[in-house]
Amino acid sequence: MYLNNLLIFFLLASLLGCGESKTYHQKDFVFGTIIDIKIYGESEINATKVSTEIFKEFHRLHKLLHPWEKSVITDINNAISQKKSIAINNDEVISILTDAQNLEAITQSLFNPSIGKLIKLWGFHSNEYNQEVIPNPDTLKDLVSSKPSMKSIKIVKKVLESSNHNNQIDLGGYAKGYALDQSKKILKKNNIKNALINIGGNILAFGKHGEREWIVGIQNPRKPNAIATVSLKPGWTIGTSGDYQRFIIINNQRYPHLINPKTGYPENKTQSATILIPPSKNSGVLSDVFSKPLFIAKSENKINIARLLNIEDFLIIMNDDSIFISESLNNKINWEEDLDKKNIEIF
Amino acid sequence: MIKKILKSFKLIKSGDWFVIFMFGILTVTSAKFLWGLPQGKYLEIYKNNEILATYSLNQELKKQIHGPKGVTEIIIDKGKVRFSSAPCPKKYCIHQGWINKANQIIVCIPNKISISIVGSKKKYDSINY
Repeated sequence: MYLNNLLIFFLLASLLGCGESKTYHQKDFVFGTIIDIKIYGESEINATKVSTEIFKEFHRLHKLLHPWEKSVITDINNAISQKKSIAINNDEVISILTDAQNLEAITQSLFNPSIGKLIKLWGFHSNEYNQEVIPNPDTLKDLVSSKPSMKSIKIVKKVLESSNHNNQIDLGGYAKGYALDQSKKILKKNNIKNALINIGGNILAFGKHGEREWIVGIQNPRKPNAIATVSLKPGWTIGTSGDYQRFIIINNQRYPHLINPKTGYPENKTQSATILIPPSKNSGVLSDVFSKPLFIAKSENKINIARLLNIEDFLIIMNDDSIFISESLNNKINWEEDLDKKNIEIF
Repeated sequence: MIKKILKSFKLIKSGDWFVIFMFGILTVTSAKFLWGLPQGKYLEIYKNNEILATYSLNQELKKQIHGPKGVTEIIIDKGKVRFSSAPCPKKYCIHQGWINKANQIIVCIPNKISISIVGSKKKYDSINY
């Protein structure tokens, strides 16, 4: 009898040990893009509760920061174009705008969140991109030479004033990254250990996938598959700016939504720029914001910009399929395609 | 009761203990290994180490393959697969029976045919676009 009980005990114990942790997967559509949340090693109830809370936060931010549907941002933009000052009764928005000002300065205005007018002229202030004509070149030229910039926006005692009336704030290159940082807070608050959050290509690896690290595929800009995969260590983020999600085609020419603030025209010699950002409080924002200068800068300046911004891990795919990759990322990446090594330049 | 059990233990010789011990290890490691494998989706058929065909496992299908010794027959039955006839002398491949998990392989060396199950598992958790 005694032996039998012992045997049953061991059998049960071994079965318990085999209970495999599951990954819970939820999707939603916010910020005009697909949001993908994976939570590993939690109960289904807990995982659902936390991802619902994260989606709720994303919807809140989407409404708060929307560039063309009524939001605090459109209120500010209306005041600026009417040459009025405006009181902002929202500390969060003030801290976002101040942060965006700093990031514009750091990126030498290659990230410029005050070019809403340019983005609108190119037809990207819409849920569908169906503009069929290039904006009037003179209008573009006048707008660029008026130098819209966050520098000409002052916020004193919660009152915003812009000395440049062509400024129109558009946080399209910031909001998704900010949302990623917010999701980090929600995961921590709920004691979640392992999750992967993907907001339209800005990804946060929170913890790990059990024993292994989270693995992320990097999209091939011209094919429906991953060109490479990379393991993300806990806390790291990855961000890509690409010409293949939001673009218009006029006379067989592709015009992506990433507009060079210095020329007024979309950058069309680059297919994608991908960066990895190590853990920090604002790693989400940096993964979103810092991929823009790498995408927009002229090919001869891209590497210098990466150095200036201390981006150690970058991958840039040019229009002629040539690839610039940093040595650090080259050591981490797994290519999923047979690429012509001649086209890959390591920095 | 305990005395009785101890007495019966004396019947087991050291060689027997060795066999019991080895089977114990085999059971534990194979259980650990097999439990973690994902349910397979695709079957790959190899001839002379070259891929001959890929089939979905979610179907019923009999497939004849011509090897150097003759015709080998494979049966796919809704998620599992086995060798059903083979021209080889010892029929090891048939005795392997059904396989249904990713990374499982049956090899028939005489007729140079092997089958393996490939998981539909993606290589990454999410894609950065």
